[in-house]
Amino acid sequence: MSTTFNYFIGFSLIYVLMTWSIYLPYRVKDLHFLSVAIMAVTAYFAGVAAVNWGWPFYLVLISGILLGALISFLVSFIIGDVPTFTVVIVGITFIFIIKTIIENTDYLGGTMGFFAIPAANNILVIIAITTIIVGYILFMIDHSQLGRAASVIFEDKNMAYSLGIKPKKIGQLFQTISGAIAGSSGVLYAYFTGSLFPDFFSFHLVGTLMTILFIGGYSTMWGVVFSALFLGGVPILLPSAVSSWKTLIYGILLVSIILIKPDGLITRKFLWKSKNKLKEMRK
Amino acid sequence: MEIFLAQIVNGFSLGSIYVLLVTGFNLMLLVARIIQFAYPQFVVLSMYASWIVLEKTGNVFLAALAAIITSIILNLLSEPIFRRINNIEKVDINASFVASMGISMVIVEIMSHSINNGFPVSFPEYWVGKNLISFGYISLGRGEFYALTGGVVLVAIFFYLLYHTHYGRVFRAIAESRKTAKKVGLAVFKSSILSYLIAGVLGGIIAILFSMLLGSASPWLGESVALKVLAVSITAGLGNLKGGLYVGLSLGVLESLAVGYLAGSWANVIAFVLMLLVVLTKPQGLFGTAIE
Repeated sequence: MSTTFNYFIGFSLIYVLMTWSIYLPYRVKDLHFLSVAIMAVTAYFAGVAAVNWGWPFYLVLISGILLGALISFLVSFIIGDVPTFTVVIVGITFIFIIKTIIENTDYLGGTMGFFAIPAANNILVIIAITTIIVGYILFMIDHSQLGRAASVIFEDKNMAYSLGIKPKKIGQLFQTISGAIAGSSGVLYAYFTGSLFPDFFSFHLVGTLMTILFIGGYSTMWGVVFSALFLGGVPILLPSAVSSWKTLIYGILLVSIILIKPDGLITRKFLWKSKNKLKEMRK
Repeated sequence: MEIFLAQIVNGFSLGSIYVLLVTGFNLMLLVARIIQFAYPQFVVLSMYASWIVLEKTGNVFLAALAAIITSIILNLLSEPIFRRINNIEKVDINASFVASMGISMVIVEIMSHSINNGFPVSFPEYWVGKNLISFGYISLGRGEFYALTGGVVLVAIFFYLLYHTHYGRVFRAIAESRKTAKKVGLAVFKSSILSYLIAGVLGGIIAILFSMLLGSASPWLGESVALKVLAVSITAGLGNLKGGLYVGLSLGVLESLAVGYLAGSWANVIAFVLMLLVVLTKPQGLFGTAIE
């Protein structure tokens, strides 16, 4: 496979993982931008662990996942059940803090970046397997009582309380899992690219992930797979004169999708209809 | 001590800009029921408009007019987008936040690709002005003086409009309950358009004052300011105008003091951390949210 195609597949799958880390908390209407800060932390952790401490890849990956989950759990435990925009501010604050620490720490490369992270063997295969595992976990959550409870919380939090559902507990659980997914995506990103720059983990990335989530559809995990391929991966295949305008295209698409189809392209109704059509065709 | 006082003066000037931005943001939130994350981007694009006019003509009056007209046009152009979003039944106010993020991304890309090849722009000295008053370390440039006085005058005019005029009463009634306002026959749609117009005029004036204060503009200026405006609004209480006044001024002073005593990039962190601590202790904001 050519290098460009490798990058296309690799980046698409990493964007799928990154967006799923925002998709899951948004099932209970939490805009969990903390995921981007966690990606930065685990990416730089991976870089330091691989280059300076000589840790093997799988140890770094597992540590990154646990670190991401721990950070997310602690933050969700401290903030409790707060309004949506408070969660947004928490995420933005952590993005600023982490980015500033990285930029002002020479050990982490500062603004110049962190380089020479060794590539793991078969990194593309590992990214694909991780994506499949995470996808399976999300599929199981979506099709369980937990997923149905999350849908109720999304529609009407008060109704959820009256039905005995605990939005706070479910929110914390989803944020912890989201932290683990973000942790894995940060580590995989570091090993895949081999170099890290603090500017990548900024509000700009939040905008990209939000675009992928809302265009694909935020009510189901499959929309993210579809939109990440096109929005995250395709710009790599395009000439730089075109791909340099990608953020403009993202912005226009984001506004358009909110106006035309606010649920996104792939919704639960769409999946249900498709499933029924397939059943009829088999008959 | 002199450095401390100098930073306080700078802080109040910067804080005045934040207060004006939060006031425009809260106006749209209360009357038009949208979270207009792109409002600071409109201000920055208006700054660019005045820079272009200054480069071409050197005329200060035309540059100021260009800033105000650009801001009005941008705000009014965004009105049909947000009106359509508000009319969609199954979406809530978060949808306007996401849409305004999209608009913000478009504006940043236009500025970074099409104006001055994406490089930051500097305003000429005759626009920014020299120091008007200086004693010891404390100096007040024209930008700081206008930002301070402009901020005070504009906020006073805005609060007068809100509490002593017919349209102000209509705005407050709509902010209280849009449905009831419609039922009693208030012109909700016209008031919504008027709010965009006022926000546009305010945005244009903010662009003029901000360009005088900073002396420069860059495509990414709006993003950091937008995050601060959102943070100030949430810390004060979403839609709380008086709260926005106090928190905006406080942020300006805190940031200025942090810049004076620490490395520049830490100023943002300290401001956000303090606001974060406030929202964690009082999630509805220091002064309470003014919207449901």
